[in-house]
Amino acid sequence: MRGKAYRGLRDGQLVELVAQKDAGALEALYDRYGRASYSLARRILTEETLAQEVVQEVFLSLWRDARRFDAGRGTVATYLLSMTNHRAVDVVRREENLRRWRTSDEGLELEPDPKARVEDEVEAGERRAEVRAALGELPAAQREALLLAYFGGYTQREVAALVGVPLGTVKTRMAAGMRKMKQALQDAGTEELPWTRQ
Amino acid sequence: MDTPMSHSEYEELAAGYVLGALEPDDEHVFQRHLGGCAICEANVRELEAVVGELAYAVPPVDPPDTLWAGIRREIRPEAVRRGALPAVAPGAEAGGRGLRLLPGLVAAAAILLVVVLSLWNLNLRDQNAVYRARVAALERATQLANDPNASLITLASQPGGSPEAQATVIASTPKDRGVLLVENLPPLQRGRVYELWGVPGGTFADAQKALVFVPLRRQGVTTLEFEVPIQPGTVFAITDEPGPDGSPKPTTNPLLVGKPTTA
Repeated sequence: MRGKAYRGLRDGQLVELVAQKDAGALEALYDRYGRASYSLARRILTEETLAQEVVQEVFLSLWRDARRFDAGRGTVATYLLSMTNHRAVDVVRREENLRRWRTSDEGLELEPDPKARVEDEVEAGERRAEVRAALGELPAAQREALLLAYFGGYTQREVAALVGVPLGTVKTRMAAGMRKMKQALQDAGTEELPWTRQ
Repeated sequence: MDTPMSHSEYEELAAGYVLGALEPDDEHVFQRHLGGCAICEANVRELEAVVGELAYAVPPVDPPDTLWAGIRREIRPEAVRRGALPAVAPGAEAGGRGLRLLPGLVAAAAILLVVVLSLWNLNLRDQNAVYRARVAALERATQLANDPNASLITLASQPGGSPEAQATVIASTPKDRGVLLVENLPPLQRGRVYELWGVPGGTFADAQKALVFVPLRRQGVTTLEFEVPIQPGTVFAITDEPGPDGSPKPTTNPLLVGKPTTA
């Protein structure tokens, strides 16, 4: 474990230190979110090298301009993981051969994960269970639309073509799916969720 | 093409927006609306949190140790606490500014890549995601300009502007059109937009509107086409203006300004 001196600091405080070019603060944030970021990048890109490049760029982006992070817009976790998603999607859109996930809940294992690590259980494990449960409760068509966009990097028009429905239907499905996800995660109601945390 | 949209249609676009799944036209339309709509702004903020949470649906995978080592190597030259970091060789820095393009689209594209990548402080040995994104943007920009003799104009940050902001114009004088490449522009206040100006002879009183835009939320290079009268000596500038349609003339000091180099 790295960065013991930073353990007691909140994410926002660490970002302020990163803005002052404190390498230890960036390392502490990497300890907190590097694994989630890498897991997401690997899921989207499948190739280890590309996933590493994306995660590296995410954390270097924070390093280069930590002032871009706006605490009023969301948590540090949301910022880093959203950036991971966007950058990985950018890559996958350029490299069509990576898009092997025709149905994007393939390999996602929406049932509880029996192999979660002990240290992962406490927070990330609970959060994972909540997110999976929320996804699992979505109508299949809405889930498919969300996951094709999120993990496959498909645009709404591409999703429409893949699924064989009109573009307007995809827009409606994505909107409904995201609305339900938001509600389900709010109903899960823990203080760990981004909209209730600092 | 500006087609009036109902607010419920904008609300529906919000999900695709936070998922990065909108087509470019929809994304620009929504972003311009977003700048002046508190309801959609709040909705987007909440949906962005959902997008962040979706990452946790993925089974965890431990990153290799080489990943942090690579980050550490890159940040070391700037790190305040250098003593805590082991010695590693910093990456090579590239330099150089300004160029008149050689004839031939292929040659132009190749030179564009080298010059702009070096302008944007990219280590050419790093074949990473940012490299590929910038190459793709430049290739597209070169195709859009469709003029092998187009000029490459780098816009420099002005006092009060963000030092991280990067902007380059590829301008075709005979076609009176060009392409703007931007990256790392700071977020705007609500209701504000960026405006690109063509400034004949550098006289700001004569500035002509070239483009109104807002920075895309996605990281990386954004490529935007514009049309404006372009003469030899036309300067390009970016200002922060009231949205959604910008101003007929600049009302604020330029954040970025670029002058063409002489042949």
